[in-house]
Amino acid sequence: MPVLKFPEGRLESLTGLSRRELEDVLFRLKCEVDHLDDGYVEVEVNPDRPDMYVGEGIARAVGGLLGRRRGWSLPRIVDSGLVLYNEGPPTRPYIAAAVVYNVNVTEDYIEELVQFQEKLHDTIGRRRRKAAIGLHDLSKLPSGKLYYKLASYDEEMIPLGHPGERTPLKRALEETSQGRKYGSLSATDNGHPALYSGSDIIAIPPVINSEITRVEPGTRDLFIDVTGTDKATVEKVLDIITTTLAEREGAYLGKVKVIRESVEEATPKLSAKTVFLGKDEPSRILGLPLDSFTISDGLSRMLHNVDVSAGGFKVEAPPFRVDILSSIDLVEDIAIAIGYESIGENKPVVDRQGRLQALTLLARKVRDLAIGLGYTETMQLTLTSPRLLDLTGFTSRVEVENPVQQEYSVLRPSLIPSLLSTLSRNLHARKPVKVFEVGNVVVPGTPPPDEVRLGLAIMDEEVGYEDIQASVYSILRLLNVEFSVEPYKHKVFVEGRAARIISRGTLLGVMGEVNPEVLLALGIDYPVAAAELNLEVIAEWRSKTESP
Amino acid sequence: MSKEEYPLSRGEYNLVKKLANAGVEKGYVEEVSQKHGIEEAQLHSLLLLLQEKGLVKVRREEESIYVTTSKGLQALREGLPEEKLVRLLEKSGGSLVVGKVKEELGPEAGIAIGQARRKGYINIEKGRVILARDPQEILREISELKKALQLASEGGLREAPKELVERGLVTREIIRRTWFEFTTPPRAILDNAVVEVARLSHKLLVSGEWRRVRLKKYDVRAEPPEIYPARKHFLGEFIEMLKDIMKELGFVEVRGPIVDIELFNFDILFQAQDHPAREIHDTLRVKEPKRVPLDEYSSLVERVARVHEKGWGYKWNPEIAARVLLRSQTTAVSARVLARRPEPPIRFFTLGRVYRSDVVDSTHLPEFHQLDGIMGWPGYTFRDLIGILREVAGRLGLELRLKPGYFPFTEPSVEGYVRLPNGKWLELFGAGLFRPEVLEAVGVDYPVGAWGFGVERLAAAFYGVNDIRDLYTRDVEKLRRLPVKIF
Repeated sequence: MPVLKFPEGRLESLTGLSRRELEDVLFRLKCEVDHLDDGYVEVEVNPDRPDMYVGEGIARAVGGLLGRRRGWSLPRIVDSGLVLYNEGPPTRPYIAAAVVYNVNVTEDYIEELVQFQEKLHDTIGRRRRKAAIGLHDLSKLPSGKLYYKLASYDEEMIPLGHPGERTPLKRALEETSQGRKYGSLSATDNGHPALYSGSDIIAIPPVINSEITRVEPGTRDLFIDVTGTDKATVEKVLDIITTTLAEREGAYLGKVKVIRESVEEATPKLSAKTVFLGKDEPSRILGLPLDSFTISDGLSRMLHNVDVSAGGFKVEAPPFRVDILSSIDLVEDIAIAIGYESIGENKPVVDRQGRLQALTLLARKVRDLAIGLGYTETMQLTLTSPRLLDLTGFTSRVEVENPVQQEYSVLRPSLIPSLLSTLSRNLHARKPVKVFEVGNVVVPGTPPPDEVRLGLAIMDEEVGYEDIQASVYSILRLLNVEFSVEPYKHKVFVEGRAARIISRGTLLGVMGEVNPEVLLALGIDYPVAAAELNLEVIAEWRSKTESP
Repeated sequence: MSKEEYPLSRGEYNLVKKLANAGVEKGYVEEVSQKHGIEEAQLHSLLLLLQEKGLVKVRREEESIYVTTSKGLQALREGLPEEKLVRLLEKSGGSLVVGKVKEELGPEAGIAIGQARRKGYINIEKGRVILARDPQEILREISELKKALQLASEGGLREAPKELVERGLVTREIIRRTWFEFTTPPRAILDNAVVEVARLSHKLLVSGEWRRVRLKKYDVRAEPPEIYPARKHFLGEFIEMLKDIMKELGFVEVRGPIVDIELFNFDILFQAQDHPAREIHDTLRVKEPKRVPLDEYSSLVERVARVHEKGWGYKWNPEIAARVLLRSQTTAVSARVLARRPEPPIRFFTLGRVYRSDVVDSTHLPEFHQLDGIMGWPGYTFRDLIGILREVAGRLGLELRLKPGYFPFTEPSVEGYVRLPNGKWLELFGAGLFRPEVLEAVGVDYPVGAWGFGVERLAAAFYGVNDIRDLYTRDVEKLRRLPVKIF
């Protein structure tokens, strides 16, 4: 979830609201506010509203919800006179550009602008892969003729933040931190996409800009480029930035002529999506009778342009909104305008019987039996450490390809390692220590299936096979399960003191005395006996044998 | 005047009787134990109990004595080194070259010559050791010393010659003994004794002896031994309670695989294939298999492709949908249920484990439980959804506040905040009506509401657990002692 930082007071002065009022309105607009100790506030904005990643965007939405402004209109737009020739670099073929006049960048605002840019990169820009933004001081452009094309790795630029040195692209990509992070996104064998003003490289999208067009306090007008791999996204990102920055006092836009293969386009597109909303749709979906006035009032406060027509509403969503895919998205906007707390509710009517899974019911009974036998319930994660499984001899298992931590990098194929791990931490607990778990295991397969099992373990001064066997027999016989046992060999158990439990030809479980080698490897210096039963098999058995 | 009674336990009675018969009224516990064949620890503890009843006085005594060391014992067996030297010289006619003495006495020669010279037994002249006095007189002197050593070895000495101490032949030891003395003669006690038993037994009942004994009075305020019952796990109990609430609200429990495919975890749920949540660093995957065939879902796959290509404007890739992952949300189970196109009205819920690429800390686990509910029928509305959220929150005793939210698969979307006992608001529910794109993909033609929440965060708040890792504690004593919470 994008989290934005603003100096305390910045949003209040943009909206003219008190801190409390502002928090309240922002909550209704999907945002959460957190006041930090360092004189900043954090605002968490939902990722479907990139138009609110900057103060002006938030103020615009707040103004609408409060009814201070309604609908939208295009900002003033002039021809900037700039021309951009796009040769369509194959790895990143699209570019759109615009000028925003009178942005009047200050020390504080630079931070906010960079934050806006970065949040757009991280979300809609898919970490710069799909779309990336370059911000330049218009007055520093060496030439009004711009070119977007592949540059060879020997060509030189002055990377932003490294003034004074003309650097070959190759080095800029290898040696700057941005280069290491984003250098591989759009690189080709024989060059990297670059934006030229005249003969100077002013950016190598999506990696880094050039020092020569640096935006700094005092920069009045911005030249903005957006490059990327998806034309619609590139144009939409430019729409969001330009329309939002145009909210600044006195600001207006300048068009840039973009020419590709002799096709001429002007950007920003400032394209608006028109969606038809049925007259009864909001009422039907929300479950609340709404009249035409309430609907169009709500939509216009969410800054849509509304045209009431026969049978419904023709809605023109503002160019800065990316989340309006169809009429359902307008219904949510209406609900937001009304206020979720004002929509009311239909208390649920329980007109039918609920039902739990047979396995849930069986697990409950099994837990009662285990507790009756003196076992205390434990719960562990299914993600565990490969070392634990190695020490206990469970080598057939499902491994996580991209674990975050080694201790949680395999899925347990048995509950026995979890129980042994628990016992190893309870050597000083009052004996006997009898523990059980009813939990999931995951075994290899295509795809690997999970099973619910019961694991039991006893640790005491002296423990033998028949101690665990007695518990297992007691549980199985009380559950009416027919079974037989046969000797079983496994690293975790002592040979000759372990058994497999079979029910109608299916493996139901295992039980035995834990091998002292395993115990000592886990640091356990008391004898342990353990068992595991597959509850899926028992549930299956019971569903076949019990009359309904 | 009523006769004084002496209530005694069976053990105490037997001891007093034994001592009375032996005529013992006082003595050292250690000695009496040995002499009368009574186990020392038992005698000791019974005497202390009798002392509590005012019948015996018991006193601990400490005494320091000298006992012979192993070196001293060797000297007793073989003679002191200087003694050996004197005997050797006597045998050799009163003198011997130093080299010969060393040869005969071996490593002890040094000590022997040193001691003998210091005591004036010998002189050394021109490399010869020469007796300085009458050997018999010397040996008499030495035998005095050995006598003391002998006594120390037999029962200890209160005082020992300084020389024996300095030469490490004896050493000081603290001896502890227990003195006892009956204050009422054992006979008199026996005459007025009443035997009390601590525990009524089957044997006493059967033999009828229970009529002749008295049941000892308990100090009913004394602390009993500490015991704890075997227990259910508190998180498990919480989960079962949630399931019961769902059942009471008419929901049917369903279950789906933990290791699932992206088709159900993401694609059906209208999550764009290039959405950041689907990247490798956000979703846990398994090494084997990387993908599974989608053949069994062919008509579903066709609809999902159509919906994505229309909605997101890209070419939908079935290879991505076929990728295997550890499910990141139980909504994947709801997606599977909807894909079976159940007859409305429907109310289903699932509660199971989900997995995230999170580093473990006090508020994050790589795996936790999620509850996911879906309900729907023709005419189902957003108000119905809000109704169920309020009902569930209400049954959990929680106040609910609604906030618009964003989930790729619902619209309108809502987040439910609940107020915790500490007054803080916790973001709990994620909910919404499934988007038309989702319903189109699964082929369901009535509105469906979905809602879910993470179980652990709520359980932690319920039990006042500050560190979410404590929900999975391995400390059995902690689990045994956890106070009961009734809900």
